[in-house]
Amino acid sequence: MTQLILQSAVSGLLVGGMYGLVALGLALAFGVLKVLNVAHGELLMLGGYASFFAFTLWGIDPFLSLPLVFIALFLFGVFLYQILFRYVTRFEIDNRIKNSLLISFGLVIVLQALAVRFFTADERTISTSYSSDAFTIGLVRIPVVRLAGFVVAVIAAVALEWLLNRTRFGRAVRATAEDWTRAALTGVDVKWVYMIAFGISAGLAGIAGSMISFGYAVSPSIGLGWTLKALVVVVLAGLGSMRGILLAGMFLGLTEALAAVWVGGAYREVVALVVFLIVMSFRPEGFFGRARA
Amino acid sequence: MPSVVRWTIVLLLLAGVVVLGLVTDDQRILTIAIQVFMLSALASSWNILGGFAGQISLGHAVFFGLGALVTREMWLGGTSLVLSVTVAVVSTALVSAILGVPLLRFRGIYFAIGTLAVGVAVFLTIGNIRPGISSLPVDALREYTFTGPYYFTLAVLVVTVVVSIWLKQSRLGLGMMAVRDDEEAAGATGVGPLQHKLSAFVISAALAALAGASFAYFSVSYYPNFPFSVVWTFEAITVVFIGGLGTIAGPLVGSAFFVILRDTLPSGIQELQVVLFGVLFILVVLLLPGGLVEGGQRLLAALSRKGPAPPAQQRETAEKEEGKRL
Amino acid sequence: MLAVDGLEVAYGDLQVVWGVSFEVPENSIVAILGSNGAGKTTTLTSLIGLIPPLAGEVTFKGASLVGMPTHRLVELGIVMIPEERSTFSTMSVSDNLELGAYTPRARASKDETMDEVYSLFPVLAERRTQRAGTLSGGERQMLAIGKALMARPELLILDEPSLGLAPIVVERTFEAITDIRDRGVSVLMVEQHVEMTLEVADHAYILELGRIVADGTSSQLADDPRVREAYLSL
Repeated sequence: MTQLILQSAVSGLLVGGMYGLVALGLALAFGVLKVLNVAHGELLMLGGYASFFAFTLWGIDPFLSLPLVFIALFLFGVFLYQILFRYVTRFEIDNRIKNSLLISFGLVIVLQALAVRFFTADERTISTSYSSDAFTIGLVRIPVVRLAGFVVAVIAAVALEWLLNRTRFGRAVRATAEDWTRAALTGVDVKWVYMIAFGISAGLAGIAGSMISFGYAVSPSIGLGWTLKALVVVVLAGLGSMRGILLAGMFLGLTEALAAVWVGGAYREVVALVVFLIVMSFRPEGFFGRARA
Repeated sequence: MPSVVRWTIVLLLLAGVVVLGLVTDDQRILTIAIQVFMLSALASSWNILGGFAGQISLGHAVFFGLGALVTREMWLGGTSLVLSVTVAVVSTALVSAILGVPLLRFRGIYFAIGTLAVGVAVFLTIGNIRPGISSLPVDALREYTFTGPYYFTLAVLVVTVVVSIWLKQSRLGLGMMAVRDDEEAAGATGVGPLQHKLSAFVISAALAALAGASFAYFSVSYYPNFPFSVVWTFEAITVVFIGGLGTIAGPLVGSAFFVILRDTLPSGIQELQVVLFGVLFILVVLLLPGGLVEGGQRLLAALSRKGPAPPAQQRETAEKEEGKRL
Repeated sequence: MLAVDGLEVAYGDLQVVWGVSFEVPENSIVAILGSNGAGKTTTLTSLIGLIPPLAGEVTFKGASLVGMPTHRLVELGIVMIPEERSTFSTMSVSDNLELGAYTPRARASKDETMDEVYSLFPVLAERRTQRAGTLSGGERQMLAIGKALMARPELLILDEPSLGLAPIVVERTFEAITDIRDRGVSVLMVEQHVEMTLEVADHAYILELGRIVADGTSSQLADDPRVREAYLSL
């Protein structure tokens, strides 16, 4: 029993890192553009496929193709912003969130259908020579690939933190996130900031997808499930705050894994849902967010 | 248009549709018709919560799926269809009441996100606990005709439309629309927002379950989690937006348009039909707040007046629709 | 330097500004005075590119500004400090100042300008790493002005700089504004506080219900009986 609990805990923490990575992109898009992109999971899915095909067709190791996947999804994100989300940012904040929700909902359907058409509905996983290797520490087995994925998540979080807090661009992003009118008056080209931020958000989704297709699996329909997890994490960390997202992700992963030991694996999704509803009801500002007056 | 004319048209259409089921054997026509009825019913049920009460739910498929699940399992287990459907609708209504109380405390986007979360969680969980395909047993397959499902689904649609019409004219419905337009003001004048939202939620769920029952009755074989899929929610919402949010005819018009167009597309494009309608949905949300029905009304108004309405009025109407949307 | 001619602005269907014209010459402080609802903020908001005007021309050093996106105006040297909305409260004082020098032109002399700002407002130097949201009203006003100066403006636009501040702080703020004008920056201010503003402004316009009803030098307006009665409670 102890072994089961420990193993579950570790697996939960590892997948929690992935939840955090996925949530980073979603939080960035929401925090900066005030746009809720529920198609974030579909971007993740596309990143997963990009990685998969890079490996299957050209033999590129998924860790090596990470920068390429980031760039590819970054560009796709910029493209989506230009043809779609740019128009949503015309609205004031309330309508912006509502309409982006509806519109990205439509995007979910479109991207999913396209994926089924071009990739088939089959589940894919990347298998390299080392993908079944694992460390064993005491009673616990830690798959190498998943651990590496966790590390990637940490690196991404640190990099994003550095970008936002130590660079001129990051300052402009934070200013835009706080008040885009004020930012424009300071000389910030808000539309450009939106575009780049959205691109980065998509890029982050892409590398998350990459790690997921490697350590877990990818298929056209995985998008919404991951978006849901990301949403829960964003709410847990505090809507609009970037700090603590990775920790919130790990918290969710851990809670889910431990609850699954009691309730059974088939009901894991319900755990995330319950956590979400509880936090939204009792502490809507999340663990790290600031309470609104 | 005057109500006598309107009612005559409705009765004629209804008669036509009833007769259609009797005279034709063409499977394709019957299938399209059934799909139109089903989607119209589902969309109308969503419209009650989204259009009348103004609460945008992204998890509507949960109730459609539940209705289908309970009906299917009971009916294939030997219970009569009528009893199965009744139990399905009642149990779904109960579930919706239980879910509605915590969910409806959230407003606006938080409600939408909450319902989306419920929808995804339930879809995935049903997929986990009922992975095997659900098929009609062999003898039922041999005897399968479209007639039963055709009239059943039509009856479901009629019931849904009747409830919608009644609701729109009732005090309850008026209260819902007051809550939609301005929740604070409604509360201040004694219209309890939570009661009205919850009523809309439960009625909408019950009708969705009824539509789900028709799906269970009509479909030969499918994976049990399919009716829980977010695609159903999406199609219902698309159709309501295309046809006109908050109107009675809107969901029907939109649904007919959607299903018929989808079916008449050449087969190469047909695979990407969903893509097409996703794009259409997005455009409608961005550009045409009132959907086809408003577009049609504006066209009629423009034709009957000397010219188009003055800009200020148009903008005001558009802004009201905009605000009504969510 | 700045010339506005026949500006008409509406919020949705409601027209608020009706054919307003005024000028801001170089090295001067020009004030637009009026009570609440007169249309002062709307005029500025339109000038700065946040709302497109219905009609009218706005030229800066001869070039037309209408239709230009807001951030471009900052590049040209026009910086506006909006009413109560200028500093980023989640960011530190130094971050705010650094952000002020966002445009390439301003970035070139960033360190120099920052020293100037710190010497103009020593309090800001003391509170360099503090989050702007924790500053007092007067300190935040200083930060707002300092941040605007970081952009090396040629024209500084202030929307009700005295709002919500204690009289002594307002005095100091107006002193700083005069100082800024003396350093070669033109200033356009919009204010409700007629008496104090007239002491500082070179030229002023009175705005009522979206129309200019009087203009002149401060002494001219101070002597005008209508102005004295309506605004100076004399």
